[in-house]
Amino acid sequence: MTGQLCYEDVETGTAITPLTVSVSETQMFFFSAATYNGHRIHYDKDFARNVEGYDNVLVHGPLQAALLSRALTDWIGGDGRLVAFSVQNRAIAHPGQELTFGGVVTGKRITDGVAQVDLDIFCRRGDDVLMPGTATVALPLRGAR
Amino acid sequence: MTESLIDAESAARVGTVVATASGEVNRRDWQRWAAAVGDHNPLWFDGEYARAHGYRDTICPPLFLQYAVLGVSELGDLRPDGSSGAVTGSLAFPRAPRRMAGGESTTFHLPAYHRDQIEMVRTVESIVEKEGRSGRFVLVTWRGEYRNQDRELLAEASMSMIARPA
Repeated sequence: MTGQLCYEDVETGTAITPLTVSVSETQMFFFSAATYNGHRIHYDKDFARNVEGYDNVLVHGPLQAALLSRALTDWIGGDGRLVAFSVQNRAIAHPGQELTFGGVVTGKRITDGVAQVDLDIFCRRGDDVLMPGTATVALPLRGAR
Repeated sequence: MTESLIDAESAARVGTVVATASGEVNRRDWQRWAAAVGDHNPLWFDGEYARAHGYRDTICPPLFLQYAVLGVSELGDLRPDGSSGAVTGSLAFPRAPRRMAGGESTTFHLPAYHRDQIEMVRTVESIVEKEGRSGRFVLVTWRGEYRNQDRELLAEASMSMIARPA
């Protein structure tokens, strides 16, 4: 396989390849179905507006998290491994809004032969960080391949 | 002094096991999830690719594991907002009925494969009232452990929920 990211390829400050998505209501419906989530704020506009006071239905926090993990696991490739993943829901998002999922390397180390990279990760809408977080991934060592 | 948003019954659940759940990891289910996310990683879809990368078959996307243990909800048992209490151990917070996921933090130890039998044990770690930009809210944190049929620890998760007054 070509293009496998290796431990030696990243340094503190390296940015992961960002992912930009505008979540559609169809995608939200399928995510609710795939996660067996009946929460009406994700599909019932009257409920979202008139009962909970939002402008529209809300993109699921776990969908934002899943899109963020997608950006990470796409970046680390088939020989990388997601070791730890932590996110906080800070602000809501509505369907149709352009969201960017990305991250920046904050450190790296080799512990017991496992090469690990720490990152700050985020879901952003414009300059607003909707979902900040941290992640650790394991990457192959070029010398070991 | 305003009344606490946390009722005594919920407060008493801190430190207790609020939910145990088990379920089978299913490839079609995780592929439906991945498709809904637009996540076309071949590790989730292509057994040959996964085997070439050290796995014995396609693997369950790490973030899907939490859904493998979801049970069955009777429509009549749903909360008025359509959500099920099953995941969160039926903590109700009558004084803070507007709820949303707070965040999740998970350490992944081993992959899960199709037809793995997963058991999850969830305890309430903390229930605290906080003051945010948009007012008071309750922050609930759970800890969960996911093990497979061989009692191997696959993942340790910490999840939180925010509940706000109506």
